[in-house]
Amino acid sequence: MSEENQTAADDQTTGSAELKDAQTSALVTASTFIIFSAIYWFFQIQSVRELLELAYG
Amino acid sequence: MPPAILGPYTRTILTAAIIAAALGFSFTYARLSVYTELMPFFEWMETTWFGYVGKTWGAAFATIQAGHLIGLAVLGGCVIVSDGRLLGVLLTDVPHRKVIDRADRVFFWALITLLATGVFMACGVAMKIYYLPVYWYKMLALGAGILFHYYVRRPLVAHEIESINPIILKMTAIASILVWFLVAATGRWIGFSG
Repeated sequence: MSEENQTAADDQTTGSAELKDAQTSALVTASTFIIFSAIYWFFQIQSVRELLELAYG
Repeated sequence: MPPAILGPYTRTILTAAIIAAALGFSFTYARLSVYTELMPFFEWMETTWFGYVGKTWGAAFATIQAGHLIGLAVLGGCVIVSDGRLLGVLLTDVPHRKVIDRADRVFFWALITLLATGVFMACGVAMKIYYLPVYWYKMLALGAGILFHYYVRRPLVAHEIESINPIILKMTAIASILVWFLVAATGRWIGFSG
């Protein structure tokens, strides 16, 4: 394999590794935000329902 | 940081570490010592020129607040347009790259506007916001949003959109919308508190 082909192959491998890293970090962060929001809003809605029940039965 | 130190998953490891540190800080007593130490800083903020103007000249505060709200509206628009495009629900006839790059440029200036006007407003009501838990939620959400945008979302969408896993792309867009809406909601919550 020529030196140019080797460099191109190295660049492609680096690009692919960077994409994998960016995707994994995005997956970790997005999952945290979405799960945190789901739990937060569940308890907020639960709290409002309890308040409404106390107020109106 | 050279990737060799943490291996090929440098960004993922740092991201997970930042999330763990933020959660650890928020849900333990570690935050209380920092909270107490920050009090003199907030007292000092009220004595600055910004603090005096904010407290004594209502029209100036209101005008700067208008700039803050416009900045927030522009930033929200950028988030909706850019993430809406990633979700495939908005501007579907315009290429991804064009929408994302243009929205990102406007997002940067909207964020600068928000931060600059936010510092002025904070000086005017420093001791009020110091005692408001929602102000600290907003700062946490804002920090998370800025880090997420520049350290996670931007490097991801810098790659060819077609090469990114569509589920991860959509999750990123939803997370981005959630975090910036939380920033806006907590901001308005401050307005209704105290």
